[in-house]
Amino acid sequence: MTHAMNYILLTLALPLQLTGSVDFNRDIRPILSDKCFHCHGPDEEKREAELRLDSFEGATEGGEFATPIAPGKPDESEVMIRILESDPDEIMPPPQSHKKITKKEIDLIRQWITEGAKYDEPWTYKNPIKHPAPSVKTELWPTNWVDQFILHRLETEHLPPSADADPVTLLRRLHFDLTGLPPTPKDAARFTSSFATNEQKAIKDEVDHLLASPAYGERLATYWLDLVRYADTVGYHGDQDHNISPYRDYVINAFNMNLPFDQFTREQLAGDLLPNPTEDQQVASGYNRLLQTTHEGGLQPAEYRAIYEADRVRNVSSVWMGATVGCAQCHDHKYDPYTAKDFHALGAFFADIDDESHFKSGTNSLPTRRPPEIRVFNRQQREKMNALNILLDELSKGKRTEISRLISDISKQKEQLPKENNPLKKKEILDSLKINEDTLASLMSENDLNKWKKVDFDLKKIDSEGRLTMVTVALKTPRIRKILPRGNWLDETGDVVQPAVPHFMPQIKKQSRQNRLDLANWLTDPNEGIGGLTARVIANRLFYLYFGTGLSRSLGDFGGQGVPPSNPELLDRLAVEFYESGWDLKHMIRLLVTSRAYRQSSLTPSSLQERDPYNELIARQSRYRLPAEMIRDNALAVSGLLVNKTGGPSIKPYQPAGYYRHLNFPPRKYRQDSSESIYRRSVYMHWQRQFLHPMLRAFDSPTREECMAKRPRSNTPVAAMTILPLSKPHGH
Amino acid sequence: MTPIYNYINRRTFLSNTGLSFGSAALLSQLVQAQEGVSTYPGLSGLPHHKPKIKRVVFLCMAGGPSHLETFDFKPQLNKLNGQPMPDSFTNGQPIAQLQGQKLKVQGHLTRFQKHGKSGQFISDYMPYHAKMADDISVIRSMVTEQINHDPAHTFMNTGTAISGRPSMGSWINYGLGSESSDLPGFVVLTSVGGRNPQPIASRQWGSGFLPSEFQGVEFNSSGDPVHYVSNPAGVDRNHQNALIRTIRRLDSQRNKLVDNPEIATRISAYEMAFRMQASVPELTDLSSESQKTLDMYGAKPGDGSFASNCLLARRLLEKGTRFVQLYHRGWDHHGDLDKYMKICCGLTDKPTFALLTDLKQRGLLEDTLVVWGGEFGRTPMFQGKGGAGRDHHIKGFSMWMAGGGIKPGLSHGETDELGYNAVKDVVHVRDFHATLLHLLGINHHRFSKKFQGLDMRLTGVEPAKVIKEILA
Repeated sequence: MTHAMNYILLTLALPLQLTGSVDFNRDIRPILSDKCFHCHGPDEEKREAELRLDSFEGATEGGEFATPIAPGKPDESEVMIRILESDPDEIMPPPQSHKKITKKEIDLIRQWITEGAKYDEPWTYKNPIKHPAPSVKTELWPTNWVDQFILHRLETEHLPPSADADPVTLLRRLHFDLTGLPPTPKDAARFTSSFATNEQKAIKDEVDHLLASPAYGERLATYWLDLVRYADTVGYHGDQDHNISPYRDYVINAFNMNLPFDQFTREQLAGDLLPNPTEDQQVASGYNRLLQTTHEGGLQPAEYRAIYEADRVRNVSSVWMGATVGCAQCHDHKYDPYTAKDFHALGAFFADIDDESHFKSGTNSLPTRRPPEIRVFNRQQREKMNALNILLDELSKGKRTEISRLISDISKQKEQLPKENNPLKKKEILDSLKINEDTLASLMSENDLNKWKKVDFDLKKIDSEGRLTMVTVALKTPRIRKILPRGNWLDETGDVVQPAVPHFMPQIKKQSRQNRLDLANWLTDPNEGIGGLTARVIANRLFYLYFGTGLSRSLGDFGGQGVPPSNPELLDRLAVEFYESGWDLKHMIRLLVTSRAYRQSSLTPSSLQERDPYNELIARQSRYRLPAEMIRDNALAVSGLLVNKTGGPSIKPYQPAGYYRHLNFPPRKYRQDSSESIYRRSVYMHWQRQFLHPMLRAFDSPTREECMAKRPRSNTPVAAMTILPLSKPHGH
Repeated sequence: MTPIYNYINRRTFLSNTGLSFGSAALLSQLVQAQEGVSTYPGLSGLPHHKPKIKRVVFLCMAGGPSHLETFDFKPQLNKLNGQPMPDSFTNGQPIAQLQGQKLKVQGHLTRFQKHGKSGQFISDYMPYHAKMADDISVIRSMVTEQINHDPAHTFMNTGTAISGRPSMGSWINYGLGSESSDLPGFVVLTSVGGRNPQPIASRQWGSGFLPSEFQGVEFNSSGDPVHYVSNPAGVDRNHQNALIRTIRRLDSQRNKLVDNPEIATRISAYEMAFRMQASVPELTDLSSESQKTLDMYGAKPGDGSFASNCLLARRLLEKGTRFVQLYHRGWDHHGDLDKYMKICCGLTDKPTFALLTDLKQRGLLEDTLVVWGGEFGRTPMFQGKGGAGRDHHIKGFSMWMAGGGIKPGLSHGETDELGYNAVKDVVHVRDFHATLLHLLGINHHRFSKKFQGLDMRLTGVEPAKVIKEILA
């Protein structure tokens, strides 16, 4: 054991690729970024000795030194000399930074300087290249080009891929990965039999079948909702409910309809700015309203304006750009080229969102008030309402308004009568009632009238079942945004900023004020915008969903402090494939899960675990426990209790009593649903930000206060206790 | 049996951390873990220096108690009572509920007297605190950055107002490990009384980006003391034991085939859960305490009061829980300050004294730190929701610390003549965090965890300093 552990330590410390020459982005940038850029990087304010090591010019000419780095001559480079220094006043990084450069890293830097100290643009900001699939020796193994990239890499490492998983394991993997639900024994019988005849066809058919099932959208939505921090409550202070569940249904439907990802992006960031937006597009614009909000007494609008802006910048940059632009709220980014101005200019895109009336008008009620909202109906409701309206029109033979008025008057008068004590007035009412009844009788037979009343009642009922949802409405005059020095909202001396994308990226070409729609287009345009980057970020996360690890392990940070991709050519190729396919998510997922690499067994011989603990090489499948939602859904499914119904208001299954007792404004009592909805899937569970359902929490579901690209996967006694008392399963 | 934390941390290490220094040593330390029940020993290399304390109890007075009615005596405030608040104090300052209102000075609502040999000023609302004047070290120059409750709590607990960062109790357990094999290392207890109780979000005891076993476990005052801890109806301990043995057999069988450390961890987690099913109810059962002890605290078993929670806190600290946080949620006194101070002090003053005394008598105080304080203080200006009250205030307020490593009977720092701005020996929340870590043997500069490419610290990126003056 000890020996094995030591071996892990050694291999972890070594980059996986040490063949050939040094690659700046892969080998050197992570070292410089972590150990040097804090003082010698992009942040001008904190730069020491006027030296910056994040560019070739800076490193070879800049600062107080003649030759910080002398290309080809490590021994004449001040950087090398200072790293090797033993005097604590001279050594770099300085002792108070608590950073140390390892022997291995020193060797890499020496080799890099010897080879000419070549810099390279950060891989993140380079356009992805459509690399040709590399040739492989074991030609029979790959089923598609994804496999060629993976196998090629394995062959250079002299590692064989793992054996295929058995068909039942594969089936189970496909079902959970694509729908979040287990296969039935029947599914298994069907699949193993067709698999025996034609493996590839069986897999392809199964994948098509699963991608077409409504459960696919529910499963993928669970991940998306983590990214965009979707929840049913406001998050701050009283954590009241807000109206947003139609947005969740929009996401599920969008995935099921396979809405192209660029359109999906536009509708969420700027659905309201599209020409004649559909109801769905308005609902989608609820994305801009998902952040935590407050109406806590004594809030200062200017402060929360700044907080909301920062929240939105953090989210949009994490979700689409894989960037931590939030770091530039108070100062230029320490490791990446984002300036504080970039941060505020990005924030200015959201300065037209009309959402501040709740500062004053927010109520301590359930739900609270968060205008603007619209009332929406699902397709069945809309169809039913249509049918009922037609019926009413038919029954009323063109006199619907009049009939409506008469019925309403009659019922009011009948209510008034017994309460009226004045005989004169009573007679007045009686007379009028008689006239009304006669008129109505002349317009409609009693039989029709009874029908009419019933239909009208049904219609009103559906109408009341419509759901409110927060949407984005743009202000005619956007709020003026200024750079807040050190992020201080009380300081109004900063320059006014207009919406703009980060200065070092391709710029939006537009004379008039740029808006959210321009931003959305820019995010998904591979030619004029940063579509290549967005495609890389999303492709990496898709890879993570189906292989348990991203090609770059830092799913939320593609910056200098992130982990460079283990297989950059494959990531590039996937990114290009994504936008060239028309941002087709189902196509991408199909590509990944029908690969041979996906089929590999996850059984991990300890030698492989030691060689590649993070599974960067994909010489096996990853193994990990199911996410919280799948644990609950699986229990419901295998016990035959699961109720499959798509969409609707959030559900409230069993929850321990008193769990909400710390909530106030208003005090909260959790009322478990009484209907079958307690047996519905977990993606519909009520998401209380401040007190997330303890079962979800025990298995690492996030509270959705911030973007979460990668949930932790813990294994704790509290989780054990949660599933231990068998007579209290979640859903009962 | 394989030690539980061996696997948990190996796993967590492999899946969550980047290579940060210390991790390597952590692994080698885990490798040395002995057979049998073992506790997570903390990060290797920690403590950085000899600790003064082993455990912390934080009495969190949620809502923001008035420093001007507890510890910060300002004769000038009484002199200017009712007069307009001088603009020089308030111009350009953040203001909460008093925005746009005429600001006038509100004098102290009660008398202050000097107490003990140290001669500390303590208000008449807190007669039991008066008795502790020579035990506690009062910081009268605290400042924070957040003026609304929710973010201010988050700031006090995590060092930032951005949601989703680890709370100090999580940091400490992550760094130093647990001393208990059957109780959580970070426990939260809450009570109410006073003005409409502060909502408290579970993020206040969240573990953020640290592994979730370090998140605070809340003990409930009614029902199951911990969610899902009791056996369901019809299942007794023997049943449960049999069930766990069966799970273990099945899991072990499976593990022979697949050799997955996660399975071994899960087996251990079940066993820890099983132990907690016994240890938690035992801990929360106060019947073994003498009547004298109950009386000293003013605790009635099962009443969920701050008094009972103080007693539970002592029991937890005794059994090795590293960080106990008690919330009393009633201190938001925008109006009727006098009435609510009497209620809040009536509920918390005596039990606090009892806790300190009890810890002292049991010899625990010398290596335990007791902290008392809210998320902010209250304005020198009048607010009148009902009778006289005060608004939120962040530029100067008071907290106290007592116990291991702290100079007793000390008064540290000052606010200006009206108790508005901390002006002398200003102590930022970050300095408080740095001091807390220092007492536990941790150098706050060197205690970090990589997250989103950054070395995250409890004390953040702005400079933070240990408050040397209050250290013994």
